[in-house]
Order: sequence, then structure tokens, then C-alpha cells
Amino acid sequence: MTDSNRTIAPDDRMVNRIIFVLSLLGLIMAIYVLQSFLRSSSIICLTGSGCEVVRKSAAAWPFGIPVPAVGAVGYTFLSVLALLRTIRDDRRLIMGILGMAAFGVVFVTWFTYTEIFVIRGICSWCVLSAVNMFVIFALTMMTVKKHRLLGFR
Amino acid sequence: MKITSETKLFLGIIGATLVIVIAALFAFSKPAAPARSYARDELIPVGTTVTGSASASAYLVEFSDYQCPACKAWEPTVTEIISAYGDRMQFAYRHFPLDQHQVADTAARAAEAAGLQGKFWEMHSLLFGNQERMSDTIFAELAAQLSLDNDRFQNDMNSAAVREKIGRDRGDGIKFGVDSTPSFYLNGRKLELKEFDDLKKAVSQAVK
Repeated sequence: MTDSNRTIAPDDRMVNRIIFVLSLLGLIMAIYVLQSFLRSSSIICLTGSGCEVVRKSAAAWPFGIPVPAVGAVGYTFLSVLALLRTIRDDRRLIMGILGMAAFGVVFVTWFTYTEIFVIRGICSWCVLSAVNMFVIFALTMMTVKKHRLLGFR
Repeated sequence: MKITSETKLFLGIIGATLVIVIAALFAFSKPAAPARSYARDELIPVGTTVTGSASASAYLVEFSDYQCPACKAWEPTVTEIISAYGDRMQFAYRHFPLDQHQVADTAARAAEAAGLQGKFWEMHSLLFGNQERMSDTIFAELAAQLSLDNDRFQNDMNSAAVREKIGRDRGDGIKFGVDSTPSFYLNGRKLELKEFDDLKKAVSQAVK
């Protein structure tokens, strides 16, 4: 079980490291796409013109907020929480990561649906970010399950 | 608070990441080369569907796709601009049907076929107005709504001349750097637009 007075258990370190690195990679992707949104500049895109189509769509600016800004904030939270776990292995930190990753999974699922059915364009960075968020969520769930948090047996 | 070796490792990774991000932002922040300007007769070759004043010095060219939601979203702004500045500007519509849109090419041919019976802009409006239910079966219905000669409409839609025109538009679009739809060129230069108002502002400046 986790203990608020001790540092992260050795067998949790590797998973936490992976979550941390994936969060930073997500943050870098989000910043790259965000600067393109804000500067209206072109994006290197693995799916042809998909990123440009998404960038120019009003659906990629919910409430006037560019979608990658949401990603940047989410990944920043995840990175900070993973960092804090190296200082103090508090149950609330892993639950915070779980909450953030769960929101991330819902958000990327909604946006992938929007890309396919509303915008009708696929941005490769959004797909990579969606996969990244699902992996972070799965790794967090593994940790939560291992420590029998959330009623897991 | 206890700084562990693990924490130091993470802080090291953050430091390295920051260096990479700052270097990348610095590289990306270099001013982009000014957009290339294209001649009017390149952007509006003979046979292009135009409206507004042919003698005006200002001209706006749109590369668009009837099945693209963003193009539909921009349409009211384009219509507003044509009605406000049509006497001081020429507007040209050029086709750029995207591969991922299954009936975009057919829709473009339907607009051209209607144009051959003098009803391009009417069909243009109907196509955007019916975008959500666009399929291969809708075009005859739209032609009937415009009281077009259906046999002629179907023949023209499938004619080599109309197909060539759409192909020429698309080829020109690629040559001019169209990387998404809609793309606008004002007085020869490609516009980078974020909001609908950006287009209105650019045109109002150009017609002064």
C-alpha cells in the first residue's frame, strides 16, 4: 500500500517514469500544435492536409480555446503529479493522475469523434496524443489496481 | 520534502526537455518567408467561374470543396463579402475536391454542369445547403429544383471538358500551395486566416 511518508516504491518507479516521459512527450506535441494554431502556421503532418483541415475548423476551438491548449494543460498536470510522486508517494497523487488521465481519455475520444464525423479530417498529432493518453491511463489503472485503490481486489 | 535520486532524474529530464522545446520554439519563431504572389491570369484562368467586377483591381480566389464542413462554415462570410464588395472586387471560385470526400468531385462537376445552363451559383448554394445529406443520388434532385434540363445536366456532369476543368483547378491548387480547404488568395497572395473576420478585414483593406 502507498504511504504518504515514504517515497515511491521501487517496483512502481518504472511505471511512474514511463508516465512521466509520455506526459512530457504529450506536452511537447501539444506545444508544437498549439504554436501552429496561434500563429496560423503550417504543421508537419503525417496524414497529408489533415492537420491543416483540423486547425482551420471551428470545432477545434471549443469555447474559443484551441484544443492543443487543453492537451498542454493536461499533460503539464500529469508531468507535475508524476514528478511529485518521486518526492512523496501519496495515494492522492496517483488518484490525481488517474483523474487527469480519465479526463484526458474522455477528451481525446470526444475530439477523435469530432475529427472523423464533424471536421472530416484526421490530424496525426491528435491521433498520437490520443494513443499516448490511453497508454498513460492504462498504466495508471495498473498501478491503482495493484495497490487495490478504488475498491479493486 | 525529500529530494530523491529519482526526483533528480526527473528534474534532469525536465531540464533537457525545456532545452529542446526552447530551441525548437526559437527555430520556429523565425519569420516565415513572405507568401509568393501569383499573377491574376494564373489564379483566374479563362473559363473560371467568377462574379463581381471584372474591371476591379482587387480579386479574391477561393479553392473549396463542397463536402468540406469548413468550406460550408466559411460560405456565409464569402457571400457577405461578395454582396458588400462585389462592385469593387472580382471573386473566383475554384474546385479543390479532397480525396477523402467521396462525392466532392461529383459535386464539383454538378456545379459546373449547372453553370453550363447558367445556374452555377444557384447550384453552389444548394450544394452547401445540402452538404449533410450529400450522396451520389442528390444531384438529380438538386438539378430538378433548379429546373435544369436533366439529360443535358447528366451529360455535362460526365463530360470530359467538365472533368478536365475540375482537374485543372485541383492541379493549379496544388501548384499554388493549397494545403487545406478552403484556401483564399487575395490579389495573388495566399491568406493565412484564423477567423471569419480576418477575411472581411483583408478584403476591406484590399478594395480601398
